[in-house]
Formats: sequence, structure tokens, C-alpha cells
Amino acid sequence: MSDPTPYRAAVFGATSAIATETLRALVAERPAELLLVGRNPERLETLAADLRARGAECEVHATDLLNPDAPWASILSGGDWDLFLIAHGSLPDQQATLDDPHATGREIDVNLISPVRIAATCARILEKQQRGTLAVFGSVAGDRGRQSNYLYGATKAALETFLAGLRHRFAEHPEVKITLLKPGLTDTPMTADIEKGPLFSPASKVGADAWSAVRKGKSTAYLPGWWRYVMFVIRHLPDFVLHKTKL
Amino acid sequence: MHSWGRVAPVTTQVDTPAWADRIHPAPGPVLAYGLGRSYGDSCLLGEGRMIETRFLDRILDFDPASGLLRAEAGISLDAILRFCVPRGWFLPTTPGTRQVTLGGAIANDVHGKNHHRAGCFGNHTPRFELLRSDGSRQVVGEGDPRHAATIGGLGLTGIITWAELQLVPIRSAMLDVELVRFRGLDEFLELSRDSEEFWEHTVAWIDCAASGRDLGRGIFIRGNWSAHGELAPHKPPGASVPVDFPDFALNRFTIGAFNTLYYRRFFGRTNSLQQHYAPFFHPLDSIQGWSRIYGKRGFYQYQVVTPAEAGAEPMREMLRLISESGQGSFLAVLKTFGDKPSPGMLSFPSPGITLALDFANQGNATLALFDRLDEAARAGDARFYPAKDSRMSRADFERSYPRLDEFRSHVDPGMTSDFWKRMNR
Ligand SMILES: Cc1cc2nc3c(=O)[nH]c(=O)nc-3n(C[C@H](O)[C@H](O)[C@H](O)COP(=O)(O)OP(=O)(O)OC[C@H]3O[C@@H](n4cnc5c(N)ncnc54)[C@H](O)[C@@H]3O)c2cc1C
Ligand SMILES: NC(=O)c1ccc[n+]([C@@H]2O[C@H](COP(=O)([O-])OP(=O)(O)OC[C@H]3O[C@@H](n4cnc5c(N)ncnc54)[C@H](OP(=O)(O)O)[C@@H]3O)[C@@H](O)[C@H]2O)c1
Repeated sequence: MSDPTPYRAAVFGATSAIATETLRALVAERPAELLLVGRNPERLETLAADLRARGAECEVHATDLLNPDAPWASILSGGDWDLFLIAHGSLPDQQATLDDPHATGREIDVNLISPVRIAATCARILEKQQRGTLAVFGSVAGDRGRQSNYLYGATKAALETFLAGLRHRFAEHPEVKITLLKPGLTDTPMTADIEKGPLFSPASKVGADAWSAVRKGKSTAYLPGWWRYVMFVIRHLPDFVLHKTKL
Repeated sequence: MHSWGRVAPVTTQVDTPAWADRIHPAPGPVLAYGLGRSYGDSCLLGEGRMIETRFLDRILDFDPASGLLRAEAGISLDAILRFCVPRGWFLPTTPGTRQVTLGGAIANDVHGKNHHRAGCFGNHTPRFELLRSDGSRQVVGEGDPRHAATIGGLGLTGIITWAELQLVPIRSAMLDVELVRFRGLDEFLELSRDSEEFWEHTVAWIDCAASGRDLGRGIFIRGNWSAHGELAPHKPPGASVPVDFPDFALNRFTIGAFNTLYYRRFFGRTNSLQQHYAPFFHPLDSIQGWSRIYGKRGFYQYQVVTPAEAGAEPMREMLRLISESGQGSFLAVLKTFGDKPSPGMLSFPSPGITLALDFANQGNATLALFDRLDEAARAGDARFYPAKDSRMSRADFERSYPRLDEFRSHVDPGMTSDFWKRMNR
């Protein structure tokens, strides 16, 4: 509790397990004022209670994150923000999604279009403030198209490219940070149906590492860090080797 | 899914709700599952639906003045400690592992090293909410028979969605600990009696490979909270046991050697030290997945409590049987329970001596030993612990728990477990 001025963060998809742990790590470290944004008001209130008990001040805002007409600018008005964190995402059964053109569109909306729209608004605010961090959850799945999750992977790869562009745009503003957070397999509700192996990390570890990457103003962070090496190998596997695997 | 003993895994449908609105207690049969730290089949349901609670881990309210915590039932004691220790609070009592959920700790009414002072876990849970299979939610508090039925109620009375827990204040995360070597059960009982007044936490490790003159030798461990030291919570675990050990890794020689080394780990009769709460209360938690040292066949726990009136005799007989069998264990623990009344209709602790051991699953030899232990236990009027059991008989269960009939009227018709089915067959 060294810093007395509260850290101000707005979090989209705040109810995500990894976002929850990221916020718990933040709140354990310093006073914070949080705006928790998501689609489900009761869940947001439950999360707010948890973070309040841990010492944070919280407001919640329930809204449809996918709505292009959502008044983000007014929701985020009136404040100086240290952090915008975009965490919502979804990983449904890939084949069923691809078999249904509407579902395919919805998935791209949740994982790419909506985060991009929100990020664009946040970028405008950061530009005005000339400081602050925009951190977005990508995924190791974006590093290489693989048969098991290429729809999800494609959205995360596109998000990565988008953020790289934003980072370029803010290159002249050293006080503005654009952070891409790339979790590996994490034990959360998103992966509840996937059998847990040794590559899985607890959400508490991934969240703590996410907060640490944000605090340090990293550009890209694999969570936990060893995923960088795993993905280095996977990215460099020749197709004829990759195609023999079930990855 | 499997329980901590890994003896009889089940394949079943599992729900993992992350939010209270996602817990669907119907259609049944269902059973709540915490972190699976029970050893036998009381946390398993082979044919039905298991509702895993570990994502329901939020703190709902905390009063820093009184230390009353209200949290979702899937929060682990590990997470509660990481939250409360820096704030100067601790669990009212803790089992030998932090990796259990709040709901699981209530449903087995777990006990810890301070039982003689604090009683059971359920003595400190003034209120909780029960979700029944008919969809109703009921907040039950002390004095309500449904409260008493749910504490130690083995998950059969409804799903606990949240619970209040009264924490206790600490000034430091450290304990002042004294280790005292004893040569037999009589000395153990004497040490227990003498320690009760001035020591908040007591337990003994027993060398169950020792025989003859050494039978019942061990180390008495007692501790009090320190007045000095930081309020530093435990660290996340480091090493893990990633694979099952081969079956030959544990045998009577490695166990015997380990026990002798452990018994001889300090010179003189007593040894004083200051210890963090983590190694003091949860020595095994620093090695994730340690139960895998028992290999693929898993292991059994065995725990009974013998009544205070019976003295040391029944325990002595059981220790003799174990040492004779050569199937000792690393973790043989002896403790006296105090006479604070247990809150639950099926709470395990009752005044007397409790012995807890684990045995690698060596098939028939292990089961034969258990049969002999059961006989000795019955002769000593002992009570068995469902959280540690995969094989107690219906008659033993009924004899162990005189309030069973009263309990039955509170069982939710949509809930059952493999243990409960076994007890009603
Ligand atoms: C190393 C080790 C040391 C231990 N030491 C001790 C000790 O010192 N003292 C002691 O008493 N025990 C001890 N135990 C046993 C352990 O504390 C209990 O088995 C505990 O209940 C396990 O909690 P869990 O969350 O893993 O629950 P599980 O084992 O998953 O479930 C236990 C029971 O709780 C029920 N349950 C779980 N969640 C809910 C809920 N939300 N609502 C209703 N019912 C629910 C389940 O249906 C089941 O009947 C130890 C276990 C281990 C592995
Ligand atoms: N878990 C992993 O293994 C893993 C690996 C790599 C990357 N990630 C990424 O990390 C981020 C967090 O994941 P997590 O594992 O913490 O997931 P999670 O716990 O399942 O949370 C998912 C979040 O997304 C929200 N959401 C889903 N669909 C939505 C929709 N249509 N509209 C609005 N909100 C929606 C959920 O809101 P509700 O609470 O209202 O449902 C929730 O806040 C995601 O971006 C994910 O892609 C996860």
C-alpha cells in the first residue's frame, strides 16, 4: 500500500475468471477504483463484493458488450484512467459453430469485433490523456492456426495485429502502453470441459502474471512466461510435422 | 473424477458452475464436490451428476472489526488464508491441508490441532445458505435443525451456496512450537493432558513401524501463536509430484527407515522452534499431488476415535496390529479430542483419542489388516470417519452415529453419494 492515489481501471468482461484474478492481484497490491463492465448485473455485483472485501472501490455497469451503439464514451467519461482491460471471450465447440453461419458470426463478434470497438474508444481516451494502459486478452491460440481451435485462434490473431497497430500509433507517446496478454491453457470455466493436463495453469497464477505484465508496461506477455518457448516451438514446426499432430 | 485416495475413480457427469445462478440441483441425483480431498467415496457419485464448486470462490462480505467472513462455498481454505492472514485473521480451525473448500469443510465438519479448544469447523459457521433439489434456497443458522444436519452432513442435505465463517485474530503468521519425544501411549496421554491448558494446538506423530518396547513411540507437537513475526501468508506450492510412483517405491523398508529417521530428527527429549503456519498445519501442501507417491493403485486412510473412558488400551491394540502387519505409513497421527460438543448430527469428533493413518493399497493384505483393525476398534467402541473411509460397514456406520435417524429426515431426496448408497444397501 505504498501508493496512496487509487489506481483507476475499467474492465470489460470483468466476470471472466482470469480478469477476476488479475484484479485480485492488483487490489492486493494497491488501492484501486474499479469500473466493472459486463453483461450480467448479478454476477458483476458478486464480483464487486469480492473486490470490495479486498479493499477496492467498485462500480458496476451492466450492458451488452456486443452492441455497436453502446455509449462507451459516456460510460467512460469523467475520469483519468490508469487501465482499460478487455477480457471477454468465448470458446465454444468449433465444429458446431462453423456449421452455423450465425453462430460463426457471433463468435467473431465476441472475440474480435466487440473488443476492437471497445479498444478503439479506449484508444481515443488514452490519446486525450496522453497516458494510461490498454491491456487486452489475446491467446497463445493466435500464434498458429491449428485444427483444434482455428476459428478462435484466427480472432485472437487478428486482435494481436490490431493491437500491434495501435502500439505503433502510440509509439510517440511513451506514457501510453498497449499490452497484449496471452494466456496459455488456463483452468477456468472457459476450459471446464477440456481434460486437464500438466500444461494447465491455475487462473490465480495467470491473473497474477497478467497484473505484473500490466504494471511493468509490457507490450506482449505470455502467461505464464514459459508459454513463449512452447509457442516458439509450435510456430516453427514445419507443416508436415504439425499436420501429424492433434494439436 | 476421483477422491484423494485414488482407489476407485468414477466416470460421471460433472457440472462446474462458476456462478450461483448456474447451480442446477435438479434433475437428480446430484452431489456437491469440493476439491475432492476426502479419501473415500463420500464425495463421489458414479451414477448421477456431480456439481463441482471450486469456481464459486468469491468473498461476499468481510467485517474487519469482528472477523466475520461470508463467502461462496467453493472458496478454498488456501484462498481464505491468503486473504485473511495479511489482515491479522486466521481460520478458527484447520484440517491438515488448505486445499479444501469451505463447503467441504462444513460437510465433513472437519477438525484440527486445536480441537480441544475450538471444537470443530462447524462450531464457527453461524449461518449458511442451502440450495435444495426442489430449487428452494434456505438460509439456516445456529439452532436450526437443518444447520445441525448439514454440518457433517456429507453433502446430502442440499448444496451449500455460501457460508459465514468466524475467523480468529492473530498477531503473527508464526507459531512457537515445541516437539517432545514420547516412548509410548501412556506418555502421549500424559503429554496431552498437560498440554491442554497452555497449548492451543496439539498433535502427535506416531512411529507405527515400531514394535515391542518401542510400540507407540512418537513425537508430540504443540504450538501457540507467536506474538512476534510478520503477517505473511503462505507461498504458492513449488514442487509437484507429476507422475504416479511405481508400486515398489513404498515398502516396509522405506517406511520403516523414514519413520526411524523422523523419530530421531532431533537430539534430547524436546526441541523448540518458531514455525510458519504453513509447515505447522499443512506440511504436505508444499508438494502438489503428493498422494501420487502411492502409485496408481492409490491408498487408503483409516481414522477412528476411541472414547476417552476407554483410555489407551484400544489404541495400543490397534498399533500392535499395524506394526505386526508391517504395513506402516508415513502419516500416522494421534490426537486427543476435547469435550466441546460437536455441532453436527453426524460430526465425527467426540471426546477421546483419534488415530489417522494412511496405507498404500496393497490389495488383500491391506484389506485384511483393516478387518483386524475394525474388530479392535469395535471392541473399543470406536467411531469411524466417513471422510476417510471407503469400506466401513453399514452396521459400523449406524453404531458410530447415534443421531443417524434424526439426520435421515433432513436428507434431500435429490441428493446421494456412493458412500450413502453403500450405507443404505
Ligand atoms: C492431506 C490431508 C489432510 C487432512 N487432514 C484432515 C484433518 O486434519 N481433519 C479433518 O477433519 N479432515 C482432514 N482431511 C479431510 C478433508 O479435510 C475433508 O475430507 C474435507 O471435507 C475435504 O473438503 P473438499 O472441499 O475437498 O470436499 P470433497 O472431498 O470434495 O467433499 C467432501 C464432502 O463435502 C460435500 N460438499 C462439498 N462441497 C459442498 C457444498 N458446497 N455443499 C454441500 N456439500 C458439499 C461433498 O458432497 C462431500 O460429501 C484431510 C485430507 C487430506 C487430503
Ligand atoms: N482459459 C483459457 O485457457 C484461456 C487461454 C487463452 C486466452 N484466454 C482468454 O482470456 C480471456 C478470459 O478468459 P477466461 O478463461 O477467464 O474466461 P471465462 O472465465 O469463461 O470468462 C469469459 C468472459 O467472457 C464473457 N462473455 C462471454 N461471452 C460473452 C458475450 N457474448 N457477451 C458478453 N460477454 C461475454 C463472460 O461473461 P459472463 O460472465 O456474463 O458469462 C466472461 O466475463 C478471454 O479473452 C479468453 O479468450 C483464455
